[in-house]
Amino acid sequence: MPSEFPVQADNLVKTFGKARAVNGVSLAVPQGMIYGVLGPNGAGKTTTLRMLLGIIDPDSGTRSLLGHSKPRDASDRVGYLPEERGLYPNMTARDAIAFMGALRGLDWKTGQTRGAVMMEAAGLGHAVTRKIKQMSKGMAQLVQLLGSLVHQPELIVLDEPFSGLDPINQQHLEALVRSERDRGATILFSTHVMSHAERLCDRLAIIAGGERRFEGTVAEARGTLPLRAHYVPCARAEEAGALLPADAVRDGDGWLFTVPNAGPEGLVTRLIGAGHGIAGLTIERPGLHEAFVRIVGEARAQGGTA
Amino acid sequence: MTRIFRQGAVIARRDFLAVVKTPTFLLFLLAPVFMLLFGWLGGSGASQVAEGASNLSRIAIIATERDADALRTADQRMRDYGDAPRLMIVAAGPDPMAEAKSLLETPGTDYLAVMFGPLEEPVIQHEQSAVKAAQWLQGVADQVLLSRRRGPPDTLSRPAYQPLKAQRAGVGMQRQTGYVAVVTVFMLTLLLAGQAVGMLAEEKSNKVIEILAAAVPLEAVFLGKLVGMFGVALLFVAFWSGLLGGIMLLVPGSGAELAALEPAIGLPTFLILGALYFTMAYMLLGAVFLGIGGLAATVRDIQMLSFPVTILQMAMFGLATVAAGQPQTALGRFAEIFPLSSPYAMAARGAHDPSLTPHLLALGWQAIWVAIIIWVAARLFRHGVLRSGGGLFAMIGRKAR
Repeated sequence: MPSEFPVQADNLVKTFGKARAVNGVSLAVPQGMIYGVLGPNGAGKTTTLRMLLGIIDPDSGTRSLLGHSKPRDASDRVGYLPEERGLYPNMTARDAIAFMGALRGLDWKTGQTRGAVMMEAAGLGHAVTRKIKQMSKGMAQLVQLLGSLVHQPELIVLDEPFSGLDPINQQHLEALVRSERDRGATILFSTHVMSHAERLCDRLAIIAGGERRFEGTVAEARGTLPLRAHYVPCARAEEAGALLPADAVRDGDGWLFTVPNAGPEGLVTRLIGAGHGIAGLTIERPGLHEAFVRIVGEARAQGGTA
Repeated sequence: MTRIFRQGAVIARRDFLAVVKTPTFLLFLLAPVFMLLFGWLGGSGASQVAEGASNLSRIAIIATERDADALRTADQRMRDYGDAPRLMIVAAGPDPMAEAKSLLETPGTDYLAVMFGPLEEPVIQHEQSAVKAAQWLQGVADQVLLSRRRGPPDTLSRPAYQPLKAQRAGVGMQRQTGYVAVVTVFMLTLLLAGQAVGMLAEEKSNKVIEILAAAVPLEAVFLGKLVGMFGVALLFVAFWSGLLGGIMLLVPGSGAELAALEPAIGLPTFLILGALYFTMAYMLLGAVFLGIGGLAATVRDIQMLSFPVTILQMAMFGLATVAAGQPQTALGRFAEIFPLSSPYAMAARGAHDPSLTPHLLALGWQAIWVAIIIWVAARLFRHGVLRSGGGLFAMIGRKAR
C-alpha cells in the first residue's frame, strides 16, 4: 500500500567538520506530487537528499523512505539522478541504462529493452549502441536520467536535473517529469533555477543556511509577498508619484509600487480625482523568483550561511 | 543477504566484462609469455656467464716430475665421485711458493687453490670461498699416498645406480611440496590480487560511486568488485592451467615433476585445496587492498600505497614459508591461524597432514575474515570518503585519507 508521504524527514542534522550543512530540516513529500527542494548554492539541498536516500547518515533526526526507516531497504523502488553525473565511459548507452536498472533489481534483458524504447522516445534512438564516451555531455546526462527511471520507480529523486542541459533538453526533461508523475510516481527534485520549479512543482520547500525556511505550494510562496502594481498615468506622470505609496519607483512612462494592504481601490479613486487618469494599470503577484530572493535574503539577514 | 549477492553480481559482471572486453586484457593474459621470454633470455645469459666463469676456474699442483702422473691418475679416479675445477700440474721449480703466488695472480684464469710441497705435508693456498677445491687437492694427495702404501687397487667397484621410488614420501619431500604450494599460491596472488588497490579509482573519478552508493550497500559494491576481478584472475589461471595441462598431455614426461609431488592428503585433493586457498588468499588480500585503495584520494596515493601493500604480501609469504618448513611449531600454527597468511600456510599443510577437517575449518575461518574485512572496508569508505556519520570509523577513514 503506497504511503501517504513517501518521503518524510524530521529534524535532520548533518555537520561536516565544523560546518553545519543541514540544521534541523523536516520534510514531508506527499504521494504522487512533484516536490521541489529549492535553495541557493551551499544551502544543504544535496546533503539533505543524500541523507534521505541513505547515502550518508544524519548526525541526528529521523527519515523515512517509502515507509522504511532504513532508506536502503527501499532502494529498488527509488530512482536517483545525482548532482555529479557519472557513467562508465566504455559502456553503451543501452547497457548503462540496463546496468542502473539491474542495480535496482531489474532483469538485465528487460533493462536493455526498456532502455532502447526510452531512448527512442527521448529522441536518442540513433545512439542506443553508442558508447557514453562518444556522447555529448547533455546526451549522457539524459541517458543517466533514463537509467534512473528504467525500473519504473515509485519515488524519483533528481538533484539539480536541469543543470548542463540545453533549453530543448530542459523542455524534454520537464515533460518527462510530468509524465512520471502522471504514471503515479512521486518526484523530489532540487534546483536553484526558479523557472523550472515554478512550472513543475506541486509543492516546494526552500532551504537556506541548512534550514527549511518555507514549505508550501508555489502560490503560497508567491503569496508571502504583497501584490505589485504597474501604473501609467494619462497626464502629469511625475506629480502622480506624490499620491503613490512610499516604495513607488519610476518605470518608463509609469510607476512601480506595492499595492497597499487595504487594496488598490482607494488609491485609484484618488489618482482619478487628482486628474492623473489611468492609461494603464497592471496588478500582479510577484513570481517565485522574488519570493525565493526575499526568503533567502531574510535567512541571510538572520545570520544563516545561505 | 540474497539481495547483497544479487547486487554484488551485477557489479561483478560489469567489472569482469569491462576488463575482459578491452585490448589490454590480451596483454595482461599474455604477460607471462613476456615474463618467461625475458626470464629465459636473462637465464641463458646468466648461465653463459656462469659457464664461462666455471671454464676459467682451475686448481693446480706444483709437483715434481715423479709425482705428476700419479697425481693425474688420482685426480681422474676421484672425478668418479664428484666434480672439481680442472687440475693443472705445474713442474716444481726452485721456489714453489713464488710459483704458487704467480699462479694465483695469473690474469684471465681463476686458480682457486694451489698445492705445493711434499705430498705428506703439502701447503694448499686457496681463495677464501674455495675450501672445497682445497680439500679436493688434499684428497688427490691422499689417494697418491694410499696407492703408494698399498699398491694400486685391483678392482674398483662398478655399481649400477637404480633410483627407487619411495613407498612413502619423505619428510623433506613433503616439506618441499608444501613450499611449492606456498610459492604457487603466493605468486598467483602477488600477480593478480594487487590490482585491487586501484579498483575503486574508476568509480571515484567518473562519479559512478554516487550511483552505486545510492542503489546498493557498499558491502555489495566491494564484494562485487572483488568477485569481478577474481573472475578475471580465474580466467587468467584457467587459460594458463589449460595451456600447461595441454602441453603435459601432448609432451610425454613433461608433467613428471607434478606427478612426483606426493602430498600426504593426496594429489587431487591437494590441487583442489590449492585452488580453494588461492581463492581465499585472493579474496582476503584483495579485500584489504580494495579497502586501502578506496581510501586513497588520488592516483598518486594509490601508487604510494602499492609499496606497503607489497611489503604486507611479502610478510605473509615469509610467515607461510616458515609454516611450510616448520609445520608443528608455534610460528607455523600462528601462520595457519593468522587470516592473511592462513591460505598459504594451510595450502602447505596438505603436503604433510592427511587430515581434511583442518582445511574445512580453515576455509570457513578465512571466509569469515573476508566478510569482516569487506565490512570494515565498506565502513571506512562510507565514513571516510562519503563522509557519513561519526565515531571510530569516521576518524580512521578520514585520517587514512
